[in-house]
Amino acid sequence: MMQDVKINSYQFLVLVILFTIGTSILTVPSALATGAKQDAWIAAIIGTGIGLLVIWLLITIALWFPHLTYVQMIEKLFGRWIGKALAAFFVLIVLFYASELLYYFGLFLNIHMMPNTPMVVLNILMAGIVVMGVRLGLETFARTAEILIVVFFAFFFILVVCLSPEMKFENIQPVYEMGTKKIIQSSIFYVIVSSVNAVVLLMIFPSFVNKMKQGRKTFLIGNLIGGIVIIIITFLSVTVLGIDKTAGEIYPSYELTKRINIGNFIQRIEGLMASLWVITLYFKTTLYFYASVLGMAQILNLKDYRPLTLPLGMIAVVLSLVIYPNIIYQKHFDDTTGNSLTLSIGLFLPLLLVVIYAIRKRMKKNEIEI
Amino acid sequence: MKKCMIVLLILSPILTGCWDKRELNELGITLAIGIDKVEDEYQVTAQVVVPSEIPTKTSTGRSPVILFQEKGETVNEALRKITKTSPRKIYPGHLRMLVLGEDLAKEGIAKSLDLLSRDWELRSDFFVAIAKDMTAAEVLNVRTTIENIPANNMFNSLQTSEHYWAATNGIKLDELIASLTSDGTEAVLTGILVTGDQEIGSTKQEVESINPPVRIVYDELAVFKKDKLVGWLTERESRGYNGIVNEVQKSVTAISCPEEGKATIEIIQADSKVKGKINKGMPEVDINIKVKGNVGEVECQINLNDLDTIVELEKITEKQMEETINMSIETLQKQYKSDIFGFGEAIHRSNPKEWKKMKEQWDEEFPKLKANVKVDVKLVHTGTEGNSFLEKIEVK
Repeated sequence: MMQDVKINSYQFLVLVILFTIGTSILTVPSALATGAKQDAWIAAIIGTGIGLLVIWLLITIALWFPHLTYVQMIEKLFGRWIGKALAAFFVLIVLFYASELLYYFGLFLNIHMMPNTPMVVLNILMAGIVVMGVRLGLETFARTAEILIVVFFAFFFILVVCLSPEMKFENIQPVYEMGTKKIIQSSIFYVIVSSVNAVVLLMIFPSFVNKMKQGRKTFLIGNLIGGIVIIIITFLSVTVLGIDKTAGEIYPSYELTKRINIGNFIQRIEGLMASLWVITLYFKTTLYFYASVLGMAQILNLKDYRPLTLPLGMIAVVLSLVIYPNIIYQKHFDDTTGNSLTLSIGLFLPLLLVVIYAIRKRMKKNEIEI
Repeated sequence: MKKCMIVLLILSPILTGCWDKRELNELGITLAIGIDKVEDEYQVTAQVVVPSEIPTKTSTGRSPVILFQEKGETVNEALRKITKTSPRKIYPGHLRMLVLGEDLAKEGIAKSLDLLSRDWELRSDFFVAIAKDMTAAEVLNVRTTIENIPANNMFNSLQTSEHYWAATNGIKLDELIASLTSDGTEAVLTGILVTGDQEIGSTKQEVESINPPVRIVYDELAVFKKDKLVGWLTERESRGYNGIVNEVQKSVTAISCPEEGKATIEIIQADSKVKGKINKGMPEVDINIKVKGNVGEVECQINLNDLDTIVELEKITEKQMEETINMSIETLQKQYKSDIFGFGEAIHRSNPKEWKKMKEQWDEEFPKLKANVKVDVKLVHTGTEGNSFLEKIEVK
């Protein structure tokens, strides 16, 4: 019954957009401004470009096996035992990311809105709806995403319109001072967070998307739209807040919403605007969690993944509380180990798949010739 | 499903409320904070609203605000210590004014500002001002009449004078920190002071009389170098500064008529562009200011119906504004050697390569900098009248 699930390409598009924006909307402006200073927005544009190349690679691989998920692909190409081991590695990292996002969510609320509420409570609340979403299945949360993306873009539109009078273009001058090398260097982090991580989406694409050819386009377009949102947010952060503030703030885009003030009347709406991050964080977490649960079920050859949701949800909550002792550790981890982990499952593993696929194809050809 | 409902029902009485709930009657809403340096400690003064005195109908005539004051090694510590005397925790989310004492400003203000940008409750939309020749506590210790709450009075008065007079400059925390951290700009803050007998200022007597003996006055701009106060500008220099950094929204300026007497030009719009450049290895800035104005007052014999008169008035205004601006640049270059105008930034924007070389010795470069000031005044109309009635009085 698991295989019957299908979502249409619009729903897939919405999921890709929300996944791409995900955590980037919170952390990327600050990371880009630290490295590329006033050229952060250029770095975001370059990052989006590189990201699209990565997505193109992922799509190419995915379309070789239109009916398999990423985990099944790995198993098929690497054989049973190595395949299962690599798939398990992938699943564990994705589960780890799901709990990292719970940590992000808890920490964000802890820092900006609810400093006295223990993080465990916030994480349980989030994990609760994540588990619920995954239990109800891909179709259900894809439909939810369809509704919430409207809310997201409505708020995003308000944010951009309200802040556009506060933009100071002096803040991005001189343009291109940092040079190509520095700009590309700092965009790497963004590519990893937004696009390399999208390897997780191979768990639903193409096997659960009904029109495959269209799905391929949607994947790219979704990533592009998400990228444009990030470019706009980065541009706004730098022009409104200035470079030092953007680089110094932990969540610069939240600071942005605090600046909204129209005629001393529409102001202090950052609480409302926080739903922007809650929506995108929720869907990114859900997609990670869904991928890990589904992947694990497929490794273990289970008929249904649902029995795994609750126990893995609990593990994710506990993990989210213990992975990072503090925010400095988390930042350091994200910049070093986190990047390598993502690259290994999202870039090197796919590249390895390409190599193996090519070798196998040649071997098959040779066999026929003999 | 039923089981679920039962579980939820059992849980709901236990899980009421939330950790972070704070009722309005638990908050000490603080609208102004003053920071002074007393010996080696920070002295923090908080002006907290007394909620029962805000509605005008039921007020008993007691003071609408109360001051709490504590000393501590750090600002945050002093602020928390206030709970020893205040029944409610200080809630700075609605802060309007931050007043820094002059002694603190001379020692350096940067350290005392960190808390204010780090704390999650604070928003950065409040004004910062320097208490001139006095402590911040003294400034906060004055009652006001039109605006019941002194902090609001200070906030609105600064906003209004910035808008219509343009010798003050309402600087918010972010702008201050941005200019403190920037390489090519130094900080500026508006001065605030109290005139009259301060003993009376905090009493009821102050708000009972038509002519209150004590007043809160905004004075001219304070010049900083790094984060230390180095001096004060005069009113004219302050206006010159605001003209350069494009902070003039509306203003009036008195000019001398071609023959004798005075006239006033009302500025309705001013737009300044500062462009940096390197000329033969030397930094230079071009300041172009476009001003739109009206003839606001005539106290001399001129024929306003003549086009030449208008052109002449424009020229006089241009010349006078250029003088004002040149004067304030000269003061900053010779006397304070502090680049509050952001000329360094302007050069950075136009020529990042040269700026990199110049950055380190900008302090020596700035006094030698050549500034080409050009003001372009356009007079649009002459108010509701053409020629002044003065003309006829003189003829008789």
